Amino acid sequence: MIETLTFTYPASSQVERRAHVGVVASGNCELLLEPHSEQHASVVVRTSAGGYGATWGAVLDRFFARHPVAVRLEIDDFGATPAVVAMRLEQALEQAR
Amino acid sequence: MRIGAIHTYLELFARYFVDLTPDIALVAADEADASGNLYTGANTEETPTIVEATAFRNGVVIAQVNRIVDRVTRVDVPGDWVDLVVVADRPYEIEPLFTRDPEQIDDVQILMAMMVVRGIYERHRVRTLNHGIGFDTAAIELILPTYGERLGLRGEICTNWVLNPHPTLIPAIESGWVQSVHSFGGELGMERYVAARPDIFFTGRDGSLRSNRALSQNAGMYATDLFIGSTLQMDPDANSSTATLGRIAGFGGAPNLGNDPRGRRHPSQAWLEMTSSTHEIRRGRKIVVQLVETFRESGVPTFVEHLDAVELGRMAGFPIAPVMIYGDDVTHVVTEEGIAYLYKARDVDERRAALAAIAGVTPVGLLADSTRTQELRRDGIVAFPEDLGVARSEANRALLAARSIRDLVTWSGGLYEPPKRFRSWG
Amino acid sequence: MTPHIGDSYAERDARERARALLDPGTFRELLDPFARMRSPYLAAQGVVSQSDDGVVVARGTLGGVRACVIATDGRFLGGAVGEIGGAKIAASLELARRDAERGMPMRVVLALDTGGIRLQEANLGLLAIAEICDAVVALRAHQPVVAVIAGRVGVYGGMSIVTALCNDVIVTEGARIGLNGPDVVETEAGADEFDASDRPLVWKVTGGRRRFAQGHATALVADDMPDIRAAVEDAFVRNRPFVAIERPEFPDPGLEREAFLRAYGITP
Repeated sequence: MIETLTFTYPASSQVERRAHVGVVASGNCELLLEPHSEQHASVVVRTSAGGYGATWGAVLDRFFARHPVAVRLEIDDFGATPAVVAMRLEQALEQAR
Repeated sequence: MRIGAIHTYLELFARYFVDLTPDIALVAADEADASGNLYTGANTEETPTIVEATAFRNGVVIAQVNRIVDRVTRVDVPGDWVDLVVVADRPYEIEPLFTRDPEQIDDVQILMAMMVVRGIYERHRVRTLNHGIGFDTAAIELILPTYGERLGLRGEICTNWVLNPHPTLIPAIESGWVQSVHSFGGELGMERYVAARPDIFFTGRDGSLRSNRALSQNAGMYATDLFIGSTLQMDPDANSSTATLGRIAGFGGAPNLGNDPRGRRHPSQAWLEMTSSTHEIRRGRKIVVQLVETFRESGVPTFVEHLDAVELGRMAGFPIAPVMIYGDDVTHVVTEEGIAYLYKARDVDERRAALAAIAGVTPVGLLADSTRTQELRRDGIVAFPEDLGVARSEANRALLAARSIRDLVTWSGGLYEPPKRFRSWG
Repeated sequence: MTPHIGDSYAERDARERARALLDPGTFRELLDPFARMRSPYLAAQGVVSQSDDGVVVARGTLGGVRACVIATDGRFLGGAVGEIGGAKIAASLELARRDAERGMPMRVVLALDTGGIRLQEANLGLLAIAEICDAVVALRAHQPVVAVIAGRVGVYGGMSIVTALCNDVIVTEGARIGLNGPDVVETEAGADEFDASDRPLVWKVTGGRRRFAQGHATALVADDMPDIRAAVEDAFVRNRPFVAIERPEFPDPGLEREAFLRAYGITP
């Protein structure tokens, strides 16, 4: 079944525009990133690979610690490794700036 | 039957001449003549070594051949060493083990390839090397004509190779990067291309490749500045193994190629860079790189506290754990997070901290202290992509000189003939 | 020396293919990912949905003329068509037909890379494809409908029927057009009859070169964007009417198997 995970992070900077990267293919994920009017980031992860909540948390913790941006982030995941997720996050941020 | 230790090639060949000499050798060849001379073609591999050990110790050598001819194309094994020749009803088959489809190479592998070229090959001026087979090393081969060219490195790095005929090296060869390649074996589909490049490969007067695993493994051990390969598991001291619980894979040439051969005496820039000693008596060191993503595709971490190999060894009754490459031979570890220049670490604690700094969100990586990591980056013991001037935004497939098997055929001028399983046209 | 490696269409994703087919700078996506037109059926089956349901619809110009490119994303569930993606395709064709009736023709290109009906959506996918077939035939009364089959999945199942309804079908050597996928044929007929792992055989029988020889494709081009764009534009300029294949170049199915294969140029 699909596991849905949510995360919130404090934010201190903005992004210019929205961004879309990736694809829902095996070992990959799709990201939708939009500027958030609130002073925090809110993240939703939908994944068919359940049981990796702690790993998702660790990857997102690191990303938002490095880039405390106020964004709404939706991730549709089909078993991407942390390496792929980290890559997509950086690519999305690059597009959004 | 008793199962002994997992050997590496050169080690096994060595024991053929000491305490593990074959009584009977069963080998394969393309052709034999009436005197039993054998032509092994591109895939000479370890056949001469096995036959020599057996023949000169009163053993029996039996050769399966595809056909008997009046005159063999080339004498790879003299008939005096062969006892029996059998014409096989079905020709022996080779699997294309060293072919990697560029279509499967992803952004993460390209990012790591860029870091290797910038942070290791360029930095240490690596001219002679071996690539352990994989998509990640195939990515390195394919970005030399593009990223490597942009950095102005053609002729400065990657000039002499110990390597099977990887199709993914074709663009670099055709772009003038490569001076020589000596091969352990052959590769299905590469025969015509290799024959057309006698300036690069070791080909006989008949035009076909002459590979030799024993000599090539030796070349890879002593005559290369660098080995780079991947693994399934690594512990905090950078010991690694492909022997995991549930699956024992052989080590291939890695233990042989991925060790510092202390018998080496000839210097090179890359070898000497590995030591900071200025003592009147000093030696350099082989660059041994482990290239891994922090997690395997299954979501299992690569970095673990204890290798499965330890438990495996105990269960199988091995006196020592089956380690593929020992941590103290490793000079560099590369992950998608960055490079740990382990050879620069001043003590064991610093080595462990450097490795943890690039171990991502694995349990080992989560123990890394961010302040310590910053210090290591400042001291040049750890480098993140940005420290190397490598932009993640550039790490995409547009950087590959060939993005499909078809492109490799085009680069080869139509000489590369991909095996069926790699073809997507008809 | 660097050989000429084409600017590959196959290498691009659906969005980039649409962008590259349209005149530079004119690409504008309708119902983009942020519209979140997801399949409502996949989550319940443990499958993660994609925000565009695997179909990209883009407007722009092609050769200076108003155009619409509809591209399927072969990387998402093999490009298979479900209810939402199918509705995007059918509705776009329907809007093009209405514009044509009002004397405002719009060039429509179907950039297909799809395995056919999405099994998880079964009858809804089937219904969608029926609507798409209907819409192609209706639009065809006014103007050519052009299909580009040049990706890595090819076009199979019901979407191959959609392709067969198009006036022009542009293929590359790497393309495949078939009804049943190779694995299905092998499962049904046995590996002796058709070995799906024999990749050259699969392309010899259903590949772009074969389909062009049989008349199912009207242009065979290199996987190079300038060549593909030129063939697309040429198709609209020539404005050829739809021609049903009355005499397909199939060998006589009554032939013995070996002779049948030889007629395909396959040495048994």
